[in-house]
Amino acid sequence: MKNSFDEKVLEEANDWIKANKKVVLATVVQTWGSSPRPAGSRMIVNENGDFSGSVSGGCVESAVVKECFEILKNNKLFKKIEFKVSNESAWEVGLACGGEIEVYLEQIN
Amino acid sequence: MKLEILKEIIKKKEKKSEFAIVTNLTTGESAIYEEGKSLSKNFKKFTSQINTFFQLKKNGTIEDTDIFIESYIRPIKVIVVGAVHIAQYLVNYAKNLNLEITIIDPRGYFASEQRFPNIKIINKWPNEAFAEIKTDKNTALIALTHDPKIDDPALQHAIKNNFFYIGALGSKKTHANRCSRLKESNYTENQIKRIFGPIGIKLGGKSAPEIALSIIAQLVSEIYKK
Repeated sequence: MKNSFDEKVLEEANDWIKANKKVVLATVVQTWGSSPRPAGSRMIVNENGDFSGSVSGGCVESAVVKECFEILKNNKLFKKIEFKVSNESAWEVGLACGGEIEVYLEQIN
Repeated sequence: MKLEILKEIIKKKEKKSEFAIVTNLTTGESAIYEEGKSLSKNFKKFTSQINTFFQLKKNGTIEDTDIFIESYIRPIKVIVVGAVHIAQYLVNYAKNLNLEITIIDPRGYFASEQRFPNIKIINKWPNEAFAEIKTDKNTALIALTHDPKIDDPALQHAIKNNFFYIGALGSKKTHANRCSRLKESNYTENQIKRIFGPIGIKLGGKSAPEIALSIIAQLVSEIYKK
């Protein structure tokens, strides 16, 4: 049996919209190797920088928030971004687990 | 994603219907897929592939395309017999796990709205209550009264309808007595063995929230065994 343990991120997105916030939805659409969260995992970001849900185990969320800000600033509708293995010697965002993920960002409009 | 699609998704989730969200990652267009209903023209040619993902309850991208599918299935139904103290904690854990809880208890002073706000409570004996709710092999039963006249009919219903999880509260002795009663009622050894009794995984705790946690942990682990 497949589980149905839903995280209610979309409901929260709707609540933010009702409170007149602009919301970007980030969804894991593809994974390779040992990525932390499966396809379909979600997080939402609003223009105040509030975020909820997750697309990794905390590894790339900060970068996703920045990308979402860019989308709102330029009033773009959607964008696809990839995250690869991080270089441990550098302060860059990446996945320490050795996996790769593709995240789709879309503004709710 | 269009706001109207987001609202539609939330409505469908509230109605506990099964559907999929389909998104073209190149154009940004998204739509809702439901079995037997036709999709808009840009997604129509992918209907059979989308349906394959939907039937397997899988999320993913159709090979060599930019079409992403996210499948939604109904929450798992959990019937709790006994509106007791442990049930109050169970309900809280279940909320975070998106389980759909129904409580059955013929004793009105236990099964009150005030003790279980916003939870479906059926204030009837199990046999009458089960006539009102649809149950199947994706349903779980948690029997908590350890009163044979309330628990036993519910356990029998769960066995007959092949629930994926059946658990009953009570000591080893209580459970041994329960098993002999079921045997006398002509239930087979294999059917009786399906009941987890004493219920829950071994955590060691004796308080109501700890017992509720051990029951929920066992229930979730059984979901992944099916």
